[in-house]
Amino acid sequence: MNDDKLLLKKDYLTAFLRQLNKDYRLIVPQKNRHGDTLFSPAVDIDSLRLDLANQPQNSIKQFMLPQREVLFTYESGSGGDYRFHAAGSPDEPTIYFGVRPCDLSALLYMDVIFLHDAADPHYLQKREHSVIIGLNCKQPFEKCFCNATGNGPFLEFGADLQFTDLGDCFLVEPGRAKGEEIIRKWPQFFSPAADEDINRQYQSFLEAKDGFSRLVHVDQAVKRLRDGEVAEAVWQDLSLRCQDCGGCAYVCPTCTCFTISDYPLNDSEGERVRTWDACTFAGFTALAGGHNPVNHKQAAIRQRFMHKLKFDVEKHGRPSCVGCGRCVDICFGGTDIVRFINKACEGI
Amino acid sequence: MPEVKPLYLPLPAKIEDIIIENSQVKTFVLSFTDREYGRLFTFEPGQFMMLSVLHHGEAPISIASSPAQSGTLRLSVRRAGKLTTALLELEKGAVVGLRGPYGKAFAMREFAHKDLLFVAGGIGLAPLRSVIESCLTERERYGEITILFGSRTPSDLAFRQDIDNWRRQPGVRCMLTVDQGEPGWQENIGLVTTLFDEARISPAHTALVCGPPLMIRAVLAELSRRGLRDENIITTMERHMKCGVGVCRHCHLDDKLVCVDGPVFNLAQLRDMEVMELS
Repeated sequence: MNDDKLLLKKDYLTAFLRQLNKDYRLIVPQKNRHGDTLFSPAVDIDSLRLDLANQPQNSIKQFMLPQREVLFTYESGSGGDYRFHAAGSPDEPTIYFGVRPCDLSALLYMDVIFLHDAADPHYLQKREHSVIIGLNCKQPFEKCFCNATGNGPFLEFGADLQFTDLGDCFLVEPGRAKGEEIIRKWPQFFSPAADEDINRQYQSFLEAKDGFSRLVHVDQAVKRLRDGEVAEAVWQDLSLRCQDCGGCAYVCPTCTCFTISDYPLNDSEGERVRTWDACTFAGFTALAGGHNPVNHKQAAIRQRFMHKLKFDVEKHGRPSCVGCGRCVDICFGGTDIVRFINKACEGI
Repeated sequence: MPEVKPLYLPLPAKIEDIIIENSQVKTFVLSFTDREYGRLFTFEPGQFMMLSVLHHGEAPISIASSPAQSGTLRLSVRRAGKLTTALLELEKGAVVGLRGPYGKAFAMREFAHKDLLFVAGGIGLAPLRSVIESCLTERERYGEITILFGSRTPSDLAFRQDIDNWRRQPGVRCMLTVDQGEPGWQENIGLVTTLFDEARISPAHTALVCGPPLMIRAVLAELSRRGLRDENIITTMERHMKCGVGVCRHCHLDDKLVCVDGPVFNLAQLRDMEVMELS
């Protein structure tokens, strides 16, 4: 018996999502009218173009850490007063459906950064209201290398409910209390899984594991960075080629650098806004007055890869690249993380 | 302990007084408009505040006063960009936003019974002033105090009131130097390191150094050459900051973040990192 493992027939999926959408805001990967697959809110379940066959171009980062987020409004009164008011109302409960192991790992990383290291109330608010339904990857996508970063293609923890595609049905594994609550609430959609279903899941895992089309030596790069064996020329060559677009940081599910700026609405009122930023931008470290402690030409990409592959390994025990491969697609300068890893490992 | 305020939320603070230090630097004496919060507010020398000026966002500013000075907070600010330019135009009675304190402080406990050497350049005296003033409130806890302060020109010399005051204190020496003299200047001309012989710096000194990067590099090297242990050469790093709490990463310094791992570092720590100020 597998008491806690269940099956959800694919025929029931639409009805299941319709139920969820009654009590929750639902964020799912769906094709837009341009054919792009993006995580976005489900409006009408019947016209939903759910896409579980392609990798979403965005991650769920944009919902937890929006690209633009008003933190405060501020006002200055006639008596010289100057006050800040927390912006926004509590988020509605939101289910994120179809979150792949890479994006789920990235979310767990963001939890460490925003909740453990800093107790960020703006992140906490959204995270507390989130329910994550994960989806294991039965077939890695062309650019993926989560096998090399050690967080895929299947993940056994972190989601509230974890789904595995078994063909005509999903194997459903409750991970956390919020997931169990969904099963209790709508038991009519689920039936107990048999040992045979668990075997099918394992077969699917083995096939997925062997399905990666590229070999990325993340471990070797981590080791070389740790031992100081990456030549200065590697940093310089790639820094010179970086086009300063920030695309890698924006699509990256673990890039969480941000800036905070004031946007005046009139003479006495305005908004304090948090927006995404990228350590690869020349101005990221520039001080008022223009002095910059980072030599951008020679080190534009240094912090990016050192942070992901060395500093986070030292601090959190694993690299903060989750192998989703999105930056490989986006980078037109040829300085994405896979090309860095390949260069760092040259001669091995 | 003050009530825990939400992260990033600045609280209003009134400018009680302004000291014009030179044409580019003013010292602002501030108090939280929430008097109860201000009464319970504590910090340690070396820490900084995130300062908000209407429509200009925030900037990290070192606290220049001593924690013993309860109720008010001093921030000395040099004109550098838009925020500081706007701040320097504010008058007494105006309100700014403050949140903090942030960052690792100087380890005051380790300074007890030590001869202390302060080496500052320009606005770099601000965070050291917090330490010096703290030492003076418990004078018997510390050994001799030597303050070496460099400015560009005699007209640029900031913190004059403080210097006059320190020179009257027993067991305190305060020596000044400028890069370029002016008629009537009676004190030293040259880099701050040219005061080192007269200051009789010994390997037993604990040195606190703060100033522009080029000065820091020269001073750290010279102190090291004179036999001070790396652990006893302490400085503060200046970086661009947005959050102040170790998340936004603008202040990265190799594997550290200046806002939470610093701004105070000793030379031993800096030698383990790739630091522009040392290279």
